[in-house]
Amino acid sequence: MNPRTERVGSWLSATGPESDVVISTRVRFARNLADVPFPIRMKPEDQELVLDTVRWALKETGFLNRGRFYEEVMLDEPDGHYFVERHLASPDFISSKGKKGLYVSDDETLSLMVNEEDHLRFQGLASGLDFSLAFALAGEMDEKLGSQVDYAFSPQFGFLTSCPTNVGTGMRASVFLHLPGLVLTREIEKVLRGAYSVGLLVRGIYGEGSETRGNLFQISNQKTLGQSEAEIIEVITNICRQIIDYEHKAREYLMHNLRVEVEDKVFRSLGILRGARIISSAEATNLLATVRLGVSLGIINELKLSEVTSLLVLIRPANLEAILGEKLEPAERDERRATFIRQKLVR
Amino acid sequence: MKRLCDICGKNEAILTVRHLDKEGKATEIGICAQCAKERGFSGVEDLQKGAAELLAELKARIEDKDKKVVCPKCGMSFAEFKRVGRLGCASCYLTFGKEIEPLIRRLHGSVQHVGKSPQEGVKRAQERLKIQRLRKELEVAIKEEDYERAAALRDLLREAGDEPKN
Ligand SMILES: [Zn+2]
Ligand SMILES: [Zn+2]
Repeated sequence: MNPRTERVGSWLSATGPESDVVISTRVRFARNLADVPFPIRMKPEDQELVLDTVRWALKETGFLNRGRFYEEVMLDEPDGHYFVERHLASPDFISSKGKKGLYVSDDETLSLMVNEEDHLRFQGLASGLDFSLAFALAGEMDEKLGSQVDYAFSPQFGFLTSCPTNVGTGMRASVFLHLPGLVLTREIEKVLRGAYSVGLLVRGIYGEGSETRGNLFQISNQKTLGQSEAEIIEVITNICRQIIDYEHKAREYLMHNLRVEVEDKVFRSLGILRGARIISSAEATNLLATVRLGVSLGIINELKLSEVTSLLVLIRPANLEAILGEKLEPAERDERRATFIRQKLVR
Repeated sequence: MKRLCDICGKNEAILTVRHLDKEGKATEIGICAQCAKERGFSGVEDLQKGAAELLAELKARIEDKDKKVVCPKCGMSFAEFKRVGRLGCASCYLTFGKEIEPLIRRLHGSVQHVGKSPQEGVKRAQERLKIQRLRKELEVAIKEEDYERAAALRDLLREAGDEPKN
C-alpha cells in the first residue's frame, strides 16, 4: 500500500491557462540507452544495468533531492494502480514483470518510468493548456539525464525507440480536455474528426478502450519524426485553441437556450453525489465531470474547480484505498467512496 | 542416405517428383507422406499436377532464408519484428534500415529526423550550468561590493545568453 494522502499533483490544481476546459498538458519523451537491448530483448542483468544507470544519473543530476525513486514491489499490480490513476505510470508498466523503477517529483509534475516499453519514459505535467511548462519540465530532465548517459540516437531516425511509432523526437505531446459543451450540443464528432484529419490522435479518458467517461478526452500527436518538437507543439496548441473556442461557444449556447436543462443536470449530479450511499468509480466520474461544468459556468459557487478536479483522481479505487489506508472489497469500496465524496462536497 | 522431405525438412521423403521447366531443366523434390496428405495429394497424378506449385513454395522458402537478415547485436530477425512490432535494439535500425524505411515513412510521412539531438541537449545543459555558476559568482561579488568584478561577470552572463533580470 502506498503511504499517501489526499494531496494531488499540482497539475490538478486547475490554475493553469484555460482550466475551465483543459485539465492538463503533458509532454512525454521516450529514450533508450545506447548499447543495451531494448526492453523487449532485455535479460535481467540488462534491466539491472539500466536501473542502476538511471538511479545514479537521477542522483547525479539532483532529481532525487526533489522526488522519490520507487522500485520493485510497490510498482506491481495492484499497488501500482495508485500511480496509474495519478497519470504517473502506464497500465502496461505496472502489469509487466521484471525490474523496473519509477521516479516521481514531490509535486508530481515530473515522472520517469524505467524499463517500460523503452528504457526511459519521462513526462512533464502542467495544469491547463501550458506546453511551455510541461515541455520545460520534461526537457530539463531530458537534457540533464542526457548529459550523464548515452542515448541511442541516429542522425537519420533521431532518438531510437522500441516501436517505430515513437522514433524521431520520441515526444508525445498531449492535452487532457473536458468537453461537456461539445458533447451536449452533439458537435463533438465534428471536432474530433477535425483533430484526426490534421494528424492528431483523440481518445477518451478513463475508459478502457474507446469508451469515454465524463466527457473527458485526450488529444496527442501521432507523428514523432520529420517535425521538430516546437512544430509538433505548435500544431497541437493551435487545434486546442480552436477546440477551446468551440467549447466556449457551445457552453454559451447551452446557457442561452437550455439554461434550465443544464442547471437541472448539474444540480441533479451534485444531488446524487451529496446523497448517494453507494457509488462506483465510473458513476462518480461522470457526475463529478458534470459538477465541474457547473462550477466553471458559475452555476455552482460554493465549490472550487480544483476541489472537483482533484476528486476525479482521488475517488479512483487505488487512490481511495491509499487515502483510507486499507484494502477493500469492491462493494465496500463503493460504500466508502460515497461517504468520502459526501464529506468533501457537503457544505 | 535417407532423403528428407523438401517441404517440412523433418520426415523421410517417400515420394520424389521430377518437374521439367520450360527450358527442360529438371528439378527433383522429395515429399513425405504427411506433407503430401496435408496438401491433398493422393495419387501420382495429383502430385505431378501440384509439382510446380510445390516448387514455387520451396523457392519462396529458400529466398526467405536468404533474406532472413538478423540483427548482429540482439539477434532479432525482420520477420520477428514484423510479428511483434518492436525492435530489439538500436542496431536493429541500422540492420533493417532499408526494410523499415517504408514503414517509417508511412507512419510519419518522413524518414528524416529534424528535432533536437543529444549533443544539443548536453550543450544546453552545460550552458545553463555555466550561467548558474556565473550568477552565483555575481551574487557574491555584489555582496562583497566588488563592483568591477560584478560588471565583468554581467558581461560574461550576457555573452552566455542570460537574460538580465531586475
Ligand atoms: Zn514433409
Ligand atoms: Zn537488434
